[in-house]
Amino acid sequence: MIPEDTVSVPENISKSAGGTIVAHFDPKGLLGRFRNGDGAKLFLMATVVFTVAILFFIIIFISYNSLDAIGEIGIWEFLTGGTWSPGSGAYGASSLIVGTFLVTGGSILFALPVGLGIAIYINDIASPRIRNILKPACELFAGIPSVVYGFMGLAVLVPFLMDIFPDHLNYGTSWLAGSLLLGLMALPIIISVSQDSLEAVPRSYREASMALGATKWETTRKVVMHSAVSGIAAAAILGIGRALGETMAVMMVTGNSALVPEPLWNIFDMVRTLTASIALEMPEVAHGSLHFSALFLLALILMTMVFIVNLIARRIVRRTRIRTGATVVTGRTRSMTSPFEKHKGAVRRLAVNAAVFASAFMMSSLFIGTAGGIAVGVLAAAALFVSKKISRMIGPKYVQKAVYSTLGIVVIAVLAILVVFLGVIIVNGLPALSLDFILSPPSKSGLSGGIWPAIVGTLELMTGTALISFPLGVCSGIYLSQYAKDTKTIRLARQAIDSLNGTPSIIFGLFGMSLLVIAFGWGYSLIGGCITLSLMVLPTIIKTTEEAVSAVPRELTEASAAMGASRWHTISKILLPASMGGVITGFILSMGRAIGETAPVMFTAAVAFKTTSSFSLLDPIMALPYHLYYLASEVPGSTTNQYGTALVLMIIVMVLFTAASAIRYKYKSRTGW
Amino acid sequence: MTGNMNMIETNDLNLWYGDKQTLFDVNMPIKKNCITSIIGPSGCGKSTLIRVFNRMNDLIGGTRMSGTVVYDGKNICGPDTDVLALRKRVGMIFQKANPFPMTIRDNITYGPKLHGMKDQRELDEVVESSLRKAALFDEVKDRLNTSALSLSGGQQQRLCIARALSIGPEVILMDEPTSALDPIATAKIEELALELKKNYTVVAVTHNMQQARRISDYTGFMYMGRLEEFGRTEDVFENPKSELTERYVSGRFG
Repeated sequence: MIPEDTVSVPENISKSAGGTIVAHFDPKGLLGRFRNGDGAKLFLMATVVFTVAILFFIIIFISYNSLDAIGEIGIWEFLTGGTWSPGSGAYGASSLIVGTFLVTGGSILFALPVGLGIAIYINDIASPRIRNILKPACELFAGIPSVVYGFMGLAVLVPFLMDIFPDHLNYGTSWLAGSLLLGLMALPIIISVSQDSLEAVPRSYREASMALGATKWETTRKVVMHSAVSGIAAAAILGIGRALGETMAVMMVTGNSALVPEPLWNIFDMVRTLTASIALEMPEVAHGSLHFSALFLLALILMTMVFIVNLIARRIVRRTRIRTGATVVTGRTRSMTSPFEKHKGAVRRLAVNAAVFASAFMMSSLFIGTAGGIAVGVLAAAALFVSKKISRMIGPKYVQKAVYSTLGIVVIAVLAILVVFLGVIIVNGLPALSLDFILSPPSKSGLSGGIWPAIVGTLELMTGTALISFPLGVCSGIYLSQYAKDTKTIRLARQAIDSLNGTPSIIFGLFGMSLLVIAFGWGYSLIGGCITLSLMVLPTIIKTTEEAVSAVPRELTEASAAMGASRWHTISKILLPASMGGVITGFILSMGRAIGETAPVMFTAAVAFKTTSSFSLLDPIMALPYHLYYLASEVPGSTTNQYGTALVLMIIVMVLFTAASAIRYKYKSRTGW
Repeated sequence: MTGNMNMIETNDLNLWYGDKQTLFDVNMPIKKNCITSIIGPSGCGKSTLIRVFNRMNDLIGGTRMSGTVVYDGKNICGPDTDVLALRKRVGMIFQKANPFPMTIRDNITYGPKLHGMKDQRELDEVVESSLRKAALFDEVKDRLNTSALSLSGGQQQRLCIARALSIGPEVILMDEPTSALDPIATAKIEELALELKKNYTVVAVTHNMQQARRISDYTGFMYMGRLEEFGRTEDVFENPKSELTERYVSGRFG
């Protein structure tokens, strides 16, 4: 039996075809479907499909272009070969891979203890007021463009290191400089992730430990850190991911010699990373040559490494979230009957002593030879033993005092580095700043003149990137948050977005150059730069939009639905206004990151000098970050203009970051979630 | 059974959190080898009072006290009190079982190691004796190296008791120890408390009047930060001096 009114529906429409359609509201007809938001849904879905397709295309494109190199050189020979000399046909990437590992490893050895220490300081000691200084300082650190870090590395760190180690550093650029700089850059993420995980440890654990007569520090060391260990591991791994993909800063301070250090722990040797090789060689390579393909293979290796690292980090973070989110905390529930269980204390002591001995030996042997190194190593292990005895003697309260004072000093030291960095830029940059500097084009290869074309180029680049990435990213984010079901396809799409979220920017640059600049024949062009940067920031915008929209309390959605509102009506009238603060904050932060980027822009859009001031999407542009890189590495004597450029770039980035936090603050106080 | 010696004694104890006073002139003796229950409606200050005895209120900034709390002949309110040593002698069990996310063994050895015990055999002995005293040993002896979080709620709470016993305290404070447990697990904890008072002094905060009546020798009734009534449990419940107490224990408010 078909109800009568259903049958009469088509009749209704045909009757009204010539008259007023709107008067006959028909929820099942095409118009009704659009009113109910199915049209909006389809449109949003199309943006997701488009975005994800492009992101997949990047992965396929990079892999496809590396096939030649895999075929001709062989993957094994490529990975293990010791000589990287494309000019003479030697494609052995092992020294580059080792260089990448060394620089990254060194940076984490420095950044993890320091970052964890600062996180503990924020969690245990800092008063609310100091917290309110440290957390924004941390974000400020994260917001400084990597080319500025590189510039400060060249201008401050390298000369400083040469003063300390005059006998060991010939040029100053070295593995040591690279690791210190990268460590500094990885600090913010290590601090924020590990502090989150320390904070997430239930209060009741602390109370139980304190009630047994433990000091605050004993509690932190033995219970809180023990419980937060996976979060701390995730922090380290995310820091590694950040360091692995870094290009500009590393390239500027490591010296870029494709040789494995001799001995392997010689931190004063120069090294060359995967990212630096790509960035240095890409502009000079012939399209379609074996060398060209080999660079894509390097990119593929780098992508794989970063992908694995980020995958591990996400796994750990998700597990931690489940652990701390639920009331029942699951630790290692399986029985631990390893043969070491009984002696784990002894094993751990042995491992710690061995590590102390080895690191003391490695570092001191660089200065005083093997025999001296062994002596120092033994002394260091002995000192560790003695310090344990002493700490037992002076009692836990004084140990706590000593530890917390040390942490305070670490915090002050890191803040001092930040102040020095910013101070040096401001002090040296202010004299350069003048109306003339801002409003005139550079002259004499940048030795004099101003930076007006670079400012214009950067703003054009930002506008174009915003126009492309905002609609695509926000629409995709809304779809994923509100419509997407947990199907296999959607999971795959999320995977693609996630994996490109952490992909090094140099990869996007490589992609943009070979496809847009060369294959499409656009040359270096504004549009090429905008597209490349948009692809780079899309995953972040999608993620932050999705999170912001999903964070709106369910009750609001339900209240709207209970009044008969359609899905789309609820989204457009309730969810979007409520989550706009989060969406826009995420978007502005992405823009801040995009305009500071150098690697993608220098391959797709930026030239060192541009004489005409005409505007065309297909014209090359000047951009501030690339201009700074160019001046710092190619134009000796342009110090004043370098600082001026760095200062202007920093000011633009800071304005964006301040705007983002102001918006976030405003919306937070208004909505309360 | 009900010894006459006072283990702890509070004299005119006042306590403020910032500007807010939460305890008013509390005078209360805690008798040795007895169970003393503190009852009263939510927010009456009973948890605050129990946390004075091991100075756990210190963890919240801005607390201030006047009056004295005498334990072992010394006032433990003063700034020169060795809080860590005090907490070693006055153990605490919390409302929700809070074992550390470590193995059962590591949960027990945490305290002794903290206070300097290193010898493996000694530690093993502490693990066994503490678990036995908490009536848990037989249930877990074959899985000491599994995570404490794999235990049931009641077992976890007994593990916390064993953990508190591991450092040889004299007084055990229990802050609503059974409020998150089912009746069977609750019965086990109550039985355990009665067993423990032979060797320890127990102070328990409870929401459950029947529990106070079943297990305690002395009961204090608190209302709005004041100790309204204190006495032998049967007196407080059957012959209350104050009308407020009478109304509370008969279930007319609270």
